[in-house]
Amino acid sequence: MSSFDRALTRREVLRGAAFGSIGLYLTACGGSSSSPATTAAASGTGKAATLNWLTWSDHYANDQLAAVKKKTRLTARPQLFSDNADAYLKIKQTGGQFDIVSGDALWVPKYLKDGLTESFDLSSIPVSSQLFSIAREFEFWQDGSNYMGYPFSWSTVQIYYNPKFVKTVPDSWHAVLDPKYKGKVSLENIPTDMMAIAARATGSKKPYAMSRGEISKAKDYLEQLKPNVLKLASQNNEVIRALADESAWIGITNLGSDDRVKDAGGPVVKPAYPREGTIGFIDSEQMVKASKNKDSFARFINAAEQAPYIAQNFITNGRPLFNEKAYKLLVNQGHKDRADRLLYSKPEKALEMTIKGPAGDQQAYSDAFNEVFGA
Amino acid sequence: MEGKVATVPAAPRARLGAARDRLAPFAEYAGFLPALVLFGAFFLVPLGLIVAYSFWRVVDYNVVHDWTLDNYRYFFSVGTYIRTFWATIWVAVLATALTIAIAFPFAYWLVRHVPRRWQKPLLVLVIVPFWASYLLRVYAWLTILGEQGALNRFLQWTHVTDRPVSFFLYDRPAVVLVLVYLYFPFAALTLYAALERFDWDQLRAAMDLGATPLTAIRRIMLPQVLPGIVTAVIFVFIPILGEYLTPQLVGGAKGVMIGNLIVNFFQGAQYTRGAAAALLIAALIVVLLAIFRRSLELRGETLRA
Repeated sequence: MSSFDRALTRREVLRGAAFGSIGLYLTACGGSSSSPATTAAASGTGKAATLNWLTWSDHYANDQLAAVKKKTRLTARPQLFSDNADAYLKIKQTGGQFDIVSGDALWVPKYLKDGLTESFDLSSIPVSSQLFSIAREFEFWQDGSNYMGYPFSWSTVQIYYNPKFVKTVPDSWHAVLDPKYKGKVSLENIPTDMMAIAARATGSKKPYAMSRGEISKAKDYLEQLKPNVLKLASQNNEVIRALADESAWIGITNLGSDDRVKDAGGPVVKPAYPREGTIGFIDSEQMVKASKNKDSFARFINAAEQAPYIAQNFITNGRPLFNEKAYKLLVNQGHKDRADRLLYSKPEKALEMTIKGPAGDQQAYSDAFNEVFGA
Repeated sequence: MEGKVATVPAAPRARLGAARDRLAPFAEYAGFLPALVLFGAFFLVPLGLIVAYSFWRVVDYNVVHDWTLDNYRYFFSVGTYIRTFWATIWVAVLATALTIAIAFPFAYWLVRHVPRRWQKPLLVLVIVPFWASYLLRVYAWLTILGEQGALNRFLQWTHVTDRPVSFFLYDRPAVVLVLVYLYFPFAALTLYAALERFDWDQLRAAMDLGATPLTAIRRIMLPQVLPGIVTAVIFVFIPILGEYLTPQLVGGAKGVMIGNLIVNFFQGAQYTRGAAAALLIAALIVVLLAIFRRSLELRGETLRA
């Protein structure tokens, strides 16, 4: 009887299954890095690799990634997150499973300080010459002669309102507490940032480093806001949708939401800048220290951050970015009014807001937020 | 002579035989080894980690391995969490009751009044929604219940209302409605399987012997299909306890369930708080399963008696 004819023994089946499983697992793990075969076949475009990218949905477009792949043989595999704290802990716990991580303002130095990311020579990436000069000089991102992240975009988080229903301009965080807006305010479910906004509303000097007493005041503010909250959106586009279908009259959201609501077929919504001041983000792409593809980071950034992609990103997502060449493209394409209205040409404004960062006592922030927004 | 033989070391083959004899009782369980490894690696170890996390604490985004009951103490000392637990249980109970109430008559109708050749195609129709993703199915309800949704457009078209009505969405009723829709197929399939096996002649026999239809159903049919009903309840009730996406998308600020708060903890890097809350839900599920099982055992003993 040949070995093909006899029935398999249980031991053989188990051994086969075990080897098969290990093979599948190794194949899956290997997917995140370049294979020798493809590397050997590389042309002048550099070696092929897959870069796992922990980011927000507005940092890329699928056709952009496809074009970058065609040009550089670098495949970006984005995975989304909403809260910086979430991304930080994911990087901390997964080590080299991610290659690039997006991060906001003061989170970036924290990543570096905790040994999760690596700074780099910004000027060695040719596309960085397209940036506004101010974006290359943020003090809080400097690490000697290196830079901690590649500057991407910025925005204030402010109020947008539908003038059809909201007759008085809500130019204060307290205006959105008015009972006539019951169930008509939509905002993103980012506990730390909502606490920081509440801190602004209640006069705390350091929204991301509140004392226990200040946290208590911020919590009281959110308690008053809660009846007016329609929903806590998991992504920013849900806030846009709620404004577009008029289920929300007020949105607490990023710059450019008026255009996005209009693009979504919604009504005219107007911005209002709260007199107590607001928070905002300045975000960047960082190189993960434990990444096995660090040598591909600069090549990917250089290809993905080119002005045409960034200009298109502005049209789609409507908040200012740091690529000056993209601004000039937008002007040439007839979008100057829109770009200027959304402060694209004034990146220095980014430094006037309270920029996002890690909370001094994250647990107290999360607890307070949950205690308000639970049942 | 005998003593001399006894001092001679046993031959290797004989030792091997003795070892084999000792291991013989375990050999029959060797087949379980792969399952044990899988169960241990993918269930027990992660569960053990969650348990450990729930007794640790987070300091400056670092999980510190200091053993403490603080996370549990915190949940039981803050009214919001107790209220949210209750709200979660209530939503699960109501959605399960409604799902069973709709699925049972459907399964009954299918078994009793639909020709056999049509039963399978109809069952396939019940599971057709599974071909679309969970997220898509929940999003579909936004376009039905929203202010510009199909329901509001219909009401305005029929002049029942002259402006969009906002209370269909972003509140608990919307959560219950969508959960009933999502879990109906689980209940319908389980109840169909239970009713299909039931011998309907027994019901007729009971009524021939003088039982009213209600008595016949209560004393003859229900005890026999009860395991199916309990299974349907388990399939619906338990997953609903852990739901977070549906309340997130259609529940708004008023439809929050405990799953949403757990997600907030994890997003805020508060893994230890999140782990404790998740374990409390898991403990509740274990207790409920034990109760279900016990009630079935008691029912079985009663029937046998």
